[in-house]
Amino acid sequence: MTHSRVQKIMNYTLRTNEQREKKMTLRDAFRSLKPLLGDEKRQLLLSLFAIAVTSTANLMAPVMIAHTIDTYIASKDFHGVLINSAILGGIFIIGVAAQYLQTMAMGGVGRRVLFKLRNTIFAKLQNLPVAFFNANKSGDLISRINNDTDKLNQFFSQALMQFVGNFFIMLGAGIFMISLHVKLGLATLAPAAVVIIITQILSGWIKRTSTKSLQSTGGMSAEIQESLANFKVVVAFNRLDFFRTKFAEANNKNYKASVASGIASNTLIPLYGVASSVAQIILLAYGFTLILSGNVTFGLLVGFMLYVNNFYTPLRQLASIWTTLQLAMASLDRISEVLDIESTIKLVPTEQVLPTQNVLTFDHVFFSYSNGKDVLRDVNLSLEKGKTYALVGPTGGGKTTTASLMARLYDPTKGTVYLDGYDIRSYTPAQRTGKIGFILQEPFLFTGTVADNILYGNDEYPDGSSERLLENLKVHGLDSLLARFENGLDTKVGASDSISLGQKQLIAFMRAVLRRPEIIILDEATANIDTVTEQMLEDILQRLPKDTTKIIIAHRLNTIQNADDIFFVNGGEVIEAGSFEHALEMLMHGKRTS
Amino acid sequence: MPPKTAAKPNLFGLMKPYKGLISMLVLFTVAANGLNLYVPKIIEHAIDNFAHRNLVIAHMVFQFSIVAGLIFLFTYLQSIVQTVAAERVARDLRTKVAAKISRQEYAYIEKVGPSKLLTNLTSDADAIKNFVSQGIASIISSLFLIIGAATLLLITNWRLALVVLAIVPVIGIAFFIIFSKVRKLFVRSQAAIDWLNKVINESILGAGLIRLLNAQQYEQQKFLRANTEAKDISLAVLNLFASLIPIITFLTNLATLAILMLGGHFVITGAMTLGSFTAFNSYLAIMIFPIIIIGFTSTVIAQASASYGRMLAVLDAPDKEDSGTIIEPLQGSIALSDIVLEFGDRATLKGVSLEALPGTRTAIIGPTAAGKTQLLSVLTGLIVPTSGQVLYDGRDIRDYNKEKLHEQVGLVFQDSVMFNLTLRENIAFGSGVTEQNLRKAIDTAELGDFVDALSGGIDTVVSERGTSLSGGQKQRVMLARALALNPKILLLDDFTARVDTRTEKKILENVRLNYPGITLISVTQKIASVEDYDQVIVLMEGEVIAQGTHKELLESSPEYV
Repeated sequence: MTHSRVQKIMNYTLRTNEQREKKMTLRDAFRSLKPLLGDEKRQLLLSLFAIAVTSTANLMAPVMIAHTIDTYIASKDFHGVLINSAILGGIFIIGVAAQYLQTMAMGGVGRRVLFKLRNTIFAKLQNLPVAFFNANKSGDLISRINNDTDKLNQFFSQALMQFVGNFFIMLGAGIFMISLHVKLGLATLAPAAVVIIITQILSGWIKRTSTKSLQSTGGMSAEIQESLANFKVVVAFNRLDFFRTKFAEANNKNYKASVASGIASNTLIPLYGVASSVAQIILLAYGFTLILSGNVTFGLLVGFMLYVNNFYTPLRQLASIWTTLQLAMASLDRISEVLDIESTIKLVPTEQVLPTQNVLTFDHVFFSYSNGKDVLRDVNLSLEKGKTYALVGPTGGGKTTTASLMARLYDPTKGTVYLDGYDIRSYTPAQRTGKIGFILQEPFLFTGTVADNILYGNDEYPDGSSERLLENLKVHGLDSLLARFENGLDTKVGASDSISLGQKQLIAFMRAVLRRPEIIILDEATANIDTVTEQMLEDILQRLPKDTTKIIIAHRLNTIQNADDIFFVNGGEVIEAGSFEHALEMLMHGKRTS
Repeated sequence: MPPKTAAKPNLFGLMKPYKGLISMLVLFTVAANGLNLYVPKIIEHAIDNFAHRNLVIAHMVFQFSIVAGLIFLFTYLQSIVQTVAAERVARDLRTKVAAKISRQEYAYIEKVGPSKLLTNLTSDADAIKNFVSQGIASIISSLFLIIGAATLLLITNWRLALVVLAIVPVIGIAFFIIFSKVRKLFVRSQAAIDWLNKVINESILGAGLIRLLNAQQYEQQKFLRANTEAKDISLAVLNLFASLIPIITFLTNLATLAILMLGGHFVITGAMTLGSFTAFNSYLAIMIFPIIIIGFTSTVIAQASASYGRMLAVLDAPDKEDSGTIIEPLQGSIALSDIVLEFGDRATLKGVSLEALPGTRTAIIGPTAAGKTQLLSVLTGLIVPTSGQVLYDGRDIRDYNKEKLHEQVGLVFQDSVMFNLTLRENIAFGSGVTEQNLRKAIDTAELGDFVDALSGGIDTVVSERGTSLSGGQKQRVMLARALALNPKILLLDDFTARVDTRTEKKILENVRLNYPGITLISVTQKIASVEDYDQVIVLMEGEVIAQGTHKELLESSPEYV
């Protein structure tokens, strides 16, 4: 067999500082959001229509008022004023109705997009391998999913609607102004063009500072998360000053980055304010000149005055929305970074079938972590169905890594792992995890009851009926373990220290056995359990079907005494020890490289 | 649950230390807005002057330009001051909360929950930041603009002004009704976000398990439920807003109509100039916007005041008093007398008494969930027992200066706790660890070869949660960390669970050689390794059921196997 396939080691580490390869543009942003907008077309069209009606209604008002002044008030015709007011009232009612429609439609789109975006990120996280979570700080990940989606949320739920609405009003006002009087219109719009150019120039700065600020928020969150999670060590070693200093450092960094970002973002608003004033000055100065030369009427000037307001007020709001947009883009950038990571743990179609009865085979397996540390070098081993194997060796020798490769938590850097004669990568996750039960070294519990945790990920008890569960627990001899919990199946457990490590290991054990795996791997799974209880667990393992393969990693010699075969794992090698005595000999006197 | 604070969280009281910044903020805001109000006046004058044919355009442009320049200046200054003020308030508040946390006992952190404290330091602080950066300036400017515009309306034409101003209370009522509903939804939405966060957190921390069980689908369903709830609430909020905004618009439109009809009438009858008529429309536009702003700001205030309340619950928690004064070096004798520890109505320790003499080795052995770990926590003062006494050298633990005590008692936890620091900083974690003690600790924990094999040596950075180290390596780093204190007393919680027998034997031998006279208390599962201990204590369901040497227990205690 040839083994030229060398897998590239994927670097799953997300950026936490300024190193940027590419800049996200509005087009990129739109492209990454486009799939989420797919089935919103009707709603988007509806809101576009509503926005058009609202904007037209808003723009009609100044026309009507100007007309009323010029035609009726100037000629002192109050009847005409009343008629025009009635028409205006009608326009207002249509506008208000359209505005309601617009808010509902557009707001709905925003909230559903956010809903889908969150689902997408979460689904992505579920598709990423364990290596991704090892490579990134949990505090930073939490910040990306919570804080960054929230920034997008703010944009979607508040800004996007205003953005589109204001844009239409602005556009309409601009068109009206130019069509009313080209020269006067263009002159009044000139300040806007100037500030838009300035905005383009400043945008890079604003986004850069926003990104930095978001990163420092992520960093601070990671700092807090780490200190609080490890608080007992901080207290026991009397290093509260450590917590304070580390936090103060992150806090100050965040302060500086946020002030810089805040000042950058707020530059636009006064700038747009001044543009509005300049436009009014131009309008008055130029407008009066035009009236004097008889080119325009006085009513037109008043109308223009209102249009200037209709143009520049939304423009000013666009300025503040623009900064929200920059922040949202920076957030989207950080989210996209997660979305763009591809898992290397992919389904690979079967290439080879080993003519073997062996349940697990390592064929010239090499493995190293992304930090370059070589853990396994050219490992070959075969495990037979129904036998009990033990992995022993000094700490850091590679036992957990070997077991993790058996369950495909990682892929080998070179070589192949075969499960029942087929490349392990050709199994779907459901097939693979159905065959393999793996009890991790560090047990994790979800908030809930003991029953919730035992049944976690188990499809056989969809209704969560405890009767059937109790029955099955009895079948496996697991019911006796429930006595270790105050309220049996209903005992509340969580991620905190409310129950002991030994109890957590018991839950993990019950969870694995109840799934009736073909291969069960125990990675120091009973290390913190007393010898009496451990004997009970041993008996339960004996009652598993005869063809269940057991792989045990342990330090306690009695735990591995019953193994059919013992492997000594150290220094990148996995050596079959043959007998228990030989294994002991190696363990006691063997060369240690770690 | 945080106790309900009697006084309502006073956001404005929080601003006291920032008087200087806030006054500057108020000054710039008022100045900018005052000038903004002056703009329609300039236009009104210009139009009226123009109608009387005595307008000097250059003069008007000059006057207008100065006002515009000043508005720009004040708005910009205002934005800078409000950013600095907001960030400073948030930073100082975070520092205060962090300082408070650092003065608390471990039990308090466990009770409140690290995730809530994380929220306190991040999103709660953000809510207050939003209030300072958006709330203060917009309330001041809005009130100023509303009052100013209303006054100018009244001066210009009081009869028409009263008609127009009639919409203000109506808008106020609409806001009040809708926001009381929104606030309720807001509370529910916070709960939904907490729920979302919990699902995300657990899916990150339990990533390995989820992949082994192929439970990704299940996690997504959990997430979907929380996310749907969050979406539904936000759609309900949207519904309310969707009806509020048209109401306001419509009322404003009514005012516009009133101005057109009544104002038109007044102009026709000559009771009002055309300039005033135009100005009326401008003032109305100026006045409506701040009314809307105040409405939206009220959610920012509600949010900030809720967050401040949550933070106050932390800040107002009583300080842990370190009344202990004893700073003499320990002799190494420890005793527990009749310790009872209760969680709710459940007792984990039921009257435990034991004694360990200086320089002796004591093992505590017992089944899973017997209360062994809690016993160690009580011994070190991490948990305060419900009743009973912890004695060091015959004196109550409470009489000792905590700092000095912790420097002399080394504790090795059952679960591995690693910091994202270098190996050196992880091991020399206690304060004032000398290079010599560090080396001795590393050698004793049999870490020397491992450290030397690392490319970065002892200055290699350990990843968060220690994922770059194996279980046994982490355990030994934890031991080295405790030994680096050069302690008088060493407490081991199931230390040997993840270390192979050979290493374990060597390490214990090293401890004996390198740390003579140390008092050792070891919680363990392995009877074999405690055979030569001075005493073995069997703990079961929170009670000491047997006590003696290995030999004695073999003869006397049936539970000792």
